[in-house]
This record gives sequence, structure tokens and C-alpha cells, in this order.
Amino acid sequence: MNSKLSEDFTFIWSAWNRRKYPTYLFLALCLNVVLASAAFAATGDAFSRPQIYALGILGLGTIALSAYLFVVMFQPERF
Amino acid sequence: MESKPDRSSQAPGVMREPNRQAPQAAMAGLYQRAVRDAFIKLDPRTAIGNPVMFLVWVGTIVTLLVTIDPNLFGTVRADTGSQRLLNGTITIILFFTVIFANFAEAVAEGRGKAQADSLRSSRADTPARKVLPDGTIEQVSSTALRKGDRVKVSIGELIPADGEVVAGVASVDESAITGESAPVLKQPGTDIASSVTGGTRVVSDELTIQITADPGQGFIDRMIALVEGAKRSKTPNEIALTVFLAVLTQVFLIVVATLSPLGNYVKTPVTIAILVSLLVALIPTTIGGLLSAIGIAGMNRVSQFNVIATSGRAVEACGDVNTLILDKTGTITLGNRLADEFIPVNNHSLEEVATVALAGSLFDETPEGKSIVQLAEKLGAKIDFDKSSCEGVEFSARTRMSGTDLPNGVEVRKGAIDAIRGFVRSRGGTIPPAFDEAYERVSKLGGTPLGICQNGDLYGVIYLKDIVKPGLKERFDQLRRMGVRTIMLTGDNRITASVIAQEAGVDDFIAEATPEDKIDVIKREQSQGKLVAMTGDGTNDAPALAQANVGVAMNSGTQAAKEAANMVDLDSDPTKLIDLVAIGKQLLITRGALTTFSIANDIAKYFAIIPTIFAAAGIGSLNIMGLKSPQSAILAALIYNALIIPALIPLALNGVKFRPLTADQLLQRNILIYGLGGVIAPFIAIKIIDVLLPIA
Amino acid sequence: MQVIADADKEDIPMLQGWIQIGLTLAIIVAITPIFGGYIARVYLGERTPFDRVLNPIDRLIFNLSGINPQTQMTGWQYARAILFSNLAMSILLFAILMLQGILPLNPTGLGAPTWDTALHTTISFITNTNQQHYSGETTYSYLAQTLGLGLMFFTSAGTGIAVAIAFIRGLTGRPLGNFYVDLTQAITRILLPISIVGAIAFVAAGVPETLSGPIIVPTLEDPNIRQAIALGPVAHFEIIKQLGENGGGFYAINSAHPFENPNGFTNLIQTLTMISIPTSMIYTYGVIANNRKQAWLVFGMVFILYVIFIIVTAIGEYNGNSQVNAILGSVQPNLEGKEVRFGWAQSALFAVTTTGTMTGAVNGMLDSFMPAGGFIFLSDLFLQIIWGGQGTGTAYLFCYLILAVFVTGLMVGRTPEFLGRKIEKNEVVLTSFLLLLVHPIFVLIPGAIALAFPEQLAGISNPGFHGLAQVMYEYASAAANNGSGFEGLADTQPVPTALWWNLSTSFSLLGGRYIPIIALLLLAEGMSQKQPVPFTTGTLRTDTVLFTGVTAGVVVIMGALTFFPVLALGPIAEGFQLGK
Repeated sequence: MNSKLSEDFTFIWSAWNRRKYPTYLFLALCLNVVLASAAFAATGDAFSRPQIYALGILGLGTIALSAYLFVVMFQPERF
Repeated sequence: MESKPDRSSQAPGVMREPNRQAPQAAMAGLYQRAVRDAFIKLDPRTAIGNPVMFLVWVGTIVTLLVTIDPNLFGTVRADTGSQRLLNGTITIILFFTVIFANFAEAVAEGRGKAQADSLRSSRADTPARKVLPDGTIEQVSSTALRKGDRVKVSIGELIPADGEVVAGVASVDESAITGESAPVLKQPGTDIASSVTGGTRVVSDELTIQITADPGQGFIDRMIALVEGAKRSKTPNEIALTVFLAVLTQVFLIVVATLSPLGNYVKTPVTIAILVSLLVALIPTTIGGLLSAIGIAGMNRVSQFNVIATSGRAVEACGDVNTLILDKTGTITLGNRLADEFIPVNNHSLEEVATVALAGSLFDETPEGKSIVQLAEKLGAKIDFDKSSCEGVEFSARTRMSGTDLPNGVEVRKGAIDAIRGFVRSRGGTIPPAFDEAYERVSKLGGTPLGICQNGDLYGVIYLKDIVKPGLKERFDQLRRMGVRTIMLTGDNRITASVIAQEAGVDDFIAEATPEDKIDVIKREQSQGKLVAMTGDGTNDAPALAQANVGVAMNSGTQAAKEAANMVDLDSDPTKLIDLVAIGKQLLITRGALTTFSIANDIAKYFAIIPTIFAAAGIGSLNIMGLKSPQSAILAALIYNALIIPALIPLALNGVKFRPLTADQLLQRNILIYGLGGVIAPFIAIKIIDVLLPIA
Repeated sequence: MQVIADADKEDIPMLQGWIQIGLTLAIIVAITPIFGGYIARVYLGERTPFDRVLNPIDRLIFNLSGINPQTQMTGWQYARAILFSNLAMSILLFAILMLQGILPLNPTGLGAPTWDTALHTTISFITNTNQQHYSGETTYSYLAQTLGLGLMFFTSAGTGIAVAIAFIRGLTGRPLGNFYVDLTQAITRILLPISIVGAIAFVAAGVPETLSGPIIVPTLEDPNIRQAIALGPVAHFEIIKQLGENGGGFYAINSAHPFENPNGFTNLIQTLTMISIPTSMIYTYGVIANNRKQAWLVFGMVFILYVIFIIVTAIGEYNGNSQVNAILGSVQPNLEGKEVRFGWAQSALFAVTTTGTMTGAVNGMLDSFMPAGGFIFLSDLFLQIIWGGQGTGTAYLFCYLILAVFVTGLMVGRTPEFLGRKIEKNEVVLTSFLLLLVHPIFVLIPGAIALAFPEQLAGISNPGFHGLAQVMYEYASAAANNGSGFEGLADTQPVPTALWWNLSTSFSLLGGRYIPIIALLLLAEGMSQKQPVPFTTGTLRTDTVLFTGVTAGVVVIMGALTFFPVLALGPIAEGFQLGK
């Protein structure tokens, strides 16, 4: 049972390594669940549930763009 | 392909018009292809290479989402229908902003491709007559030829690949690569005239050629790759500018992202679509969209001058060059020397010398001979006999003189001093000391002395002078104003060199120069931090070409020279180096002008958008343009932002008009036009668009 | 006075005020070449009048600390030396603050502050900022103030001078030098001699210098009510507070306190000392680079911006609050939150100088200035070069020149170069990062977070535009290492929001100090190693009126582009609101 589980994890790990971008996307959405819930709690009734999730994704997207721009700044040769 | 006048007679004093190599028919197709490419470049994997436009692209997707559902990121107060219309319009404008930027790049690339196509047509698969080791001839395809093979090419046939002439003498039409309609003589054994290029056509006689390049490796193949920009990588300055644009973009991303809480705090919330619009308006889209087009166009401009640059870096370096090293012969002076003066000896009058010189040059068809005739006629000399009854004596390497045998048996001779001296003695004449003085004087003046005699009677010395190309002095003055020093290299002695140097107006000269001197001069200049440009054609120039920051090899030169250089001049005109400096500077000025313009534009965009969207916060008075409404202001700013890109494509592709001024004058002029102009122009344009927009 | 007509009477204070400002400016210009030349002599290793006394002291210091003054440092080594020495001093200071209850010289028996206040104070003083989220007289003992904070006054200012000198050396192609030597000389040759003279002058002018505790006196109103008047070793603290552009007041209300800044004479000295080093450093550059013309041009550029800023602020104060004027029925200067002994003119001059030079000392409440003033103060903090911080301001100024060269230099048809050195990728990354990005990251981001949660985090006293300005000012003051406050924020313990303010501004303080310093040193290192390009007529001259004007344009545009929304929604909106 235990070895089966570790095999499964190895498989998942290798599958994730193969598909980097879908993995990042998935992790971002997971993070968004946490972020959006916190924001939802903080803002009260101002936003509906889908709106707060969309905002969370927008915020993460902005951070991703910012990270991308930092990469351009420090490794412009790659672009 | 236009035919050009003899290049030696072309006045270098004016910046020459580039050869428009791309045929007009191809230009029409170019735009269609560019439109198609503009859409292909929307592929995110391509788009991510341009940070500024990538942000606009992402922004387009965000505004598309809020067009579909305006309440996606929070309930908007205005009615959904009008929000959707506004967001949809913003989406369309942003989309076109990206398309316009892609289009600019595609047009620039397309121009290079058109040129490459015209080159490629000359490289089509041609039949070749391969000479087998046993001497028999086999018909093969040009693609089957390998290095070391020998082929025979006869009149009317295309030369199948690059090679060296090993036998035969023939004229070759090289217009396919040089645009030069006059055929060039090719023969074996000489450094320069023995190398032939694949795709050129033999127009007389027959050549046997040893192939020097495998298929796909030839000179034209490499040129095609260069012109198409297949190997294009960013130049150091472009990289630095990319960093700067990324920093600005990052700054505005932060400014706009943090604006939302600020607006909320002062109870004037802004929608996501408006924030995206503000972001796109502020990030430097104008220069971001045109940057690569400017670089590609710079390379194209060089190739329109029939110069192939191996990299954009080389073109940029041209603008930075501090020192030009120029060969005297062919670059500064015309290749031929011309008669300037007759110096009589033996108590002959000037008229007598002129008359004898005229008689002696009647059959001389060389430029020198013609110039003697011209000078003599100018001095009023006439012949009193019938030319057809005379007999011309041709110049030969053995006799080193030429002349005319007159009907009355009189022999007129002109030629090298020693040869004439021997001739006079053999006819029983004597050499007066004045003759030695005369020819020594000519030498000291930097000229070539010719003796002239009639039978045993020595008449005088003809002073053949090096002729500095017309207009060069003005060019060198311009270069000096731009801070570029010129150094002339010549094999002549110091005295001759100094005379020519002064006449041509170069800043410095190296006399009795050897090829090693070239390298030494380059290294000396480089050790002072200077960038050096030079031209060369011979194999012994190769090390110097490699050492120089800009090395321009002549197409007529050897393969080794072309390999070592970072540019090849297809017209083999060394004076072009001066034009290349101007092209390099033009490229840099264009880039700087559009960067300044792009950043200066932001002020107007801020003044259009911020006061109107925060009008509720009481800063409506800052709306100095009196724009109608927030919607109108945003759309006007975005439309301006989008349209300015195609509006500036011609400037980006053709470059800012170059003027040979000092740095301070250039800065003053350009900062007025592109700095101040960049501040003012968008205020006017945005106001006009705002008035024209059919919304309240 | 009786004979003067009423109409003229109104003009007297106005004229008087402008004359005060004009005279002070004239003295500033006169000091610059003398003091700047002296700093250059110190760092060029030429003889100075103090050599006979100070050389043995220097040698003693180097011998005791094991420094070889001949060792040259690379950019990274220089930066590491700064980081490690500052870290060591921070630990020392933090320990002193936390342990002040059991240490001597604590006449009022003060206990340890909260950990976040101590941390914020430590970071604030080590970074030459002196942002204070506490009241000096009721939070820190004499020992903590004079030994703990006073030490930082010297070392943080000296660090700034050292960075500027290393930067100038790098720009002019010299090796950067040795941080420990530069720091020691900054203290022994520049800060200490002036401080000793200044402290004596302050004592003579009535500033207290005592270790005795507060005195209890009966009030004039009612002799039964007694009031404690805080004293302390103020005079020596005061002079280095100004000279080192530190600005952390001995008392809570800083230079507005009659014991810190009792009269017009001390106010003049305070104004002159806080501006003298940043103005003189520009001249120092001119001497070291052997281009005094450029130094004066750059000086002129900043001076003109400075004068414009003073005029805008002063006119705003002189014309007063239109709503108050409407009630009074006449135009009265805005004296709310100001000391009457300084009036509108000296308060305005002091405020523009203190925000521009990153001193942060105040002789009146910045919060109480008219929106025009608020606009100017925020702009001062955002631009950071209207003299700018100790040393770093001068370095920023030359970074702006580099940026201007990069943006506009291409337009002369050469790849950009400054002082004969090519501006390439590394220079652009470093200058644009430190000039354009540091502020948005450390001001706008925390500011936006605070404004997003105004109740939970920020605790802002004024809602609306003024509140926005207060929050942004707090972070701008921290990131620019200024230290002055718009006040009105609940940032002092034991208020619950103080924790947020202490920690978030600490983040801005550190980012605004050390990232630029590292960037400056790496920039200097890179420039010094470049092969210089000879100067020709094709080279862009940077020492012309034209180029200096272009630089001014770049400074204003770049600053405006980043902060226009904040200014628009803060002081500009407030100004329109008041004017309504």
C-alpha cells in the first residue's frame, strides 16, 4: 500500500514536471482560493463570490506580469 | 535595377540616393504579407518577446472579459449596456494597438524579405558543366557542385556557385548582386579579379572556375540570411533600451495597480477597463511597438546602399565611429592621375612643349593620355599634320613609354623619366640639369613626372597629378563636425602624402604604409577608446578588417577579406564608408527621437485621463483640454495611442532626416522637435479626436 | 510704525519674509564653494587645517580597528562593509533601546519601549531617516538618545557622505576607496568639527545642554497646577541632527520646540547646516571631476527648482486658507501649526529645505501647511534631488544625468555616454531601478495596502484627500529616508495600528536606503572600469545649459509620471476642495 502510494506520487511528480505551465496555473488557482477567501472576509458584502475569485485571479495575473517584467529587466537578452 | 553612372565620377559630396532594390510589384505584396504576419505575431510565444506590447495584449484580453461581463470584477454603477459598449470599444482599440505594432515590425521584415527574394531568384538551380578529372565535361545541377569542383561557364550562362577563375578571361555581369550594370573583367591569377560570385552571368568568352563554396554556403546564401534578418539579435543599445522600457512598464503597472485602492479611498472608484486603458496609455507603446522595426529598417537602409551588414551591432557601431581609416587610391583620389602642368627645359617655350605633348598623346587612350591632350589643347596647342597619316606607338612594360611616329619621320615619345633619358641619349641628345630639377620638383609636389621628347631633343616634364575626388573636402568637414577623424593611408612617400592629405582635408595621414601599419594605427586608436572603421579588399587587409570595429570589405575583394569584415560593399566603393557613418547615426537618432517622443507623450495622456476619471474628486479643473467626458477622454487617448504607431512607421522605417551637425546642435534640434513636440502634439491630437468622437 | 499707512502695513511682513528667505539663500550659495572645496580636499587626500590634530587620531582608529587604509574596495566589498557595519550598529542600538530601563542616565525612569517601536526606531536611525513613531522626551532615556541615537546621527550621515564620495570616484574613473576610511574621515573631518562649533553656538543661543531631569514649575495661570518641563543634553544633539540631515528631534515636536530651536538665529543655523552638505557635495563633484562648470550648472538646476518650490509654498502660506480668510474678512497668513517666532516665511523655507534635503526636522507642523505646501513636500520626497539625502542626493542627481543621457543622448547619433563612459545595459538597469522603481515599490504598494484597509491597518485621522496624502507621505518619507511626518496617523504605541505602521514603514526604510546604496556602488564600480571614450564634437556635452535643462525636464517628467495620480488625488484635490 505504502509503496503504491509513493509510486503514485512519483508519477504525479513526473507528470507535473512534464507540464510546467498547467502546474503553475493549477497552483495559482489553489493560491487564489486562499487569497479570495481572505479578501471576501475582509470586504464584506461589496463583492459577490465569483467577483472576488475573478479579482483574485486578476491580482495574481498582475503579480505574474510584474515578475515577468523583472525577468526582462535583468535578463533582457532572452527577449 | 537601375543603372548607375561610372562610380569614380560620382560626386561623393552629396549623400547618394540608395538603390531601391526591391521591385515595385513586390512592394504591393509586401503590405498584404505584413498584415498577415501582424496577426501571426499575436501568438503569445512571439508576443512575449516584446514586453510593452505583451502587456497591451494581456490588457486586451482583460478588457474583452469585462466586455462580456462588465460586472466580472465588481458591480459597476453605470448601466451594463453602456459599460459593455465602452469596454468593447476599448478592447477593439487595444487590439489594433497590438496589430499596428506587429504590422510595423512585419513591414520592416518584409522589406528585407523582398530584397532577399530578388537575391534568391538569381540563386535558382542552374545547370552547370562540370569538368571531370579526365578532362571530360558532365552536365550537373548547381546543387550537386562541391568545393574544389571545376566548371566551365560560357557566354550567356550563369555562374553556378562562388569560385576562383583558374583559366580564361571574360566579362561578367554582376548586376544581380551589385546593381552595377557595367560588366567586370575576370581573369585568373589576380587577387581581386579572379573571384566570381554564384548567380552572376558571363557576358563574353568563357571561364573555367574552381568552386570555393558548397551549396547553401555561398556568398549569396549568407547575404540572403543576413538580409532576411534570420540571425538578427538585439544590439547592446537595443538591450539597454529594452531594460529601460521594461522598468517604465513596471513602474506604470505598479502605479495603475495601486490606483484602485486610492480611488476607492477618496470615494471615486474606477473600473478595471479604465485602469487597463490608463496602463496602456502610459506604458511606452510607441517606442515599444517600433523599436524592433527601427533596428531592422536600419539594416535595410544599409542594404539599400548595397552594403550587407553582418549584424545590427555593426550598423550601430558605424554611428559611434571616431576614426575613419581610408586608403588613398580609389577612396580619396581617383584611381587615375591627370596631367596638371608642363615644365619646359632646353629653352623650349610652354607652347612648344604642349604641342609636342599633344602630338605624343594622340593615340594614347588611357585616362592619363587623354588628360595630357586636354591640358595641351587648353594651352592652345594644335597639330599641323593629319592624324591618320601618323602611327601610334603603344606603351609596353619593356619600353615604359608611348608616343607617335609623325609622317615626316619624327619620333615623339613620352614616358618614365629613365626611359625617356635612354631614348634621348640613343638619338644623340643630351640631358640638361634643368630636367633633373624639374622631375625632382614634381616628385616633391606629390605627382608623377613623365618625360617628353622629340627625337633627341628633350622638351620637358609632364606633371601628372593625383586628383582628389570632388566634394570630399566638404564630406570630411562634415565628419569633423560630427567628431569623426579621418586618417589617410598611402604607399606614397611623406611629401606626396602630405600634399594629398592637405588637399583632401583629412586630419592625419600615414605615408609609406604597409598592411601591418594599418593594424598598428587601428590598435593605437582603439587603445584611446576610439572606434575605428576602415575598408579593405586584399587578403593582407583581412587582419586589419577583423581588428577594426567596422570593417567594410569590397565585394571585388578576396574571400578572406570578406570573411574578416563585418560589412561587405557590393559596389566596391570605398567612399561609402562615409555614408555608413551617417546611416549608423541616423539609426541611433531615430531610436532616440522616438523614445523621447513616446515618453513625452505621457504627459498629455495623464492630463487627458486622470482629471476626467477622477472628476468626482473635484480635480476636473485639471482637464485643461476640456475633454467631453471620461469615456471620451479615455477613448481619445487610446485612439491617439494606437494611431501614432502606424503614423510613425514611415519615420521608423526611413529614419529621421540626418544632418551633419555637432552633437549640441543635434540635441537642440531634436529635443525641440521630438521632446517638446512630443509634449505638445498629443494635447492637440487628443483634443481633435475628442471633438470628433460621436459620444457625449 | 505709527506713520505707516494701513495698506503698507500689510506689505511689511511680506517683504520682511522674502528678505529672510533671500538672505538665507544667498548664504547657502556663498557657503557651497568653500565647504564643497574643503570636502574635496579631504577626499583627494590634500592637506586640511585639521590634519595635525586629526591624523594621529585617524591612525589610532585604524590601528585599533585593524583597518588598512590603503586597501581599495570593489563595489561589492564597499556595499558589504556598509551592510555589515550598519547591521552591527543596529544590534547595538536595539539592545540599548530595549535595555534602557536598567542602564544609567535615565532620570525619568523610562522602561523599555515595545519591540516594534524599538525596531522601527533602530531601522529609522540607522538609515539616516529618523522617522519617529514616539515622543522623544517620554519614550527614550538620555542615554538612549545621546549615545544610542546620537551615534547613529554621525555614522548614518557619514555613510551617506562615503557613498557619495565612492560614487563620484567611480564616475570619474578612480577606484572607489575604502568605506571605513571614508566613513572615519567624514566623521572626524566634516561632521565632528562643525558639530562642536555648532553645539557651542547653540548653547550660547539658549539651547539646554544638561543631564538633569525635568524641572517642575508652577504654571502662570494657576500656581497650584504644576508643569514638568523636559530638559536634557539637547544642544550637541541638535547640531548633528541638522548637519547630518538626520532630523530626529530630542523632543516630540522637533525644531518647533523652544528648547531645540529658541530663536531666529538658531533657526538660521539649523536651516544652513541641514542644507550645507548636499549643496556642497555638488561642488565637491566639480572639484574631483575637475569640471566646476558642470557642478555649477547642476547646482543651478537644483537651486532653481528649490527656489520655485519655496515660492509656491511660501505664497500658499502667505495667502492663508481662503475659507478662514472669508470668516476673518481679510487675507491672513496661515499660521496654524506654526511658531509665531518664525512666521510664514521661515517656516516655509525650513519646511521645503527639510523635506528636500531628507532631514525631516520640522519647525512647524507639515500637516498644517496649505495644500500647495503639501504638494511641494510630497514632490520633494518623490524627486529626492532637490538637494536630497546626505550624499545619496548628490549621487541621485548624477544618476538623473545618466538617465537623461540615456533617453536623449541617442538623438545626437551616438550610443549614449556620460563623462566619456558608455551607458549600457548595466548602467540602465541600476539607474532606472534606483531612480524609477524603488519609490513605487516602497511607497505606492504599502500605501495602497494601508488605504485599502483604512480602519484595520492605517488609523487615519483625516478622511478623504488629506488622509490619502498623510498615508502616502508617511511611506514616501520612509522610503526617501526623510523622516518627517504629515502626522495625524495613529502610528504611536500603544495604539493598535502602530504595529502595522512600525513594520510596514521599516520595510520602506530599508528598501529605500540599502537598495539604492548597493545600486549606486555597483554603478560606480562599473563606470570606473569602463574604457573612457575620447571627447569629440560628436560627443554629447553634459556640461551645457541645454543639457542641464533637458535633465531638469527628465527629472520633472519622470517624477510626475510616477506620482501624478497620488498628487492629483492628494494635495491637488484638497486644494481644489479648499478653493471651492
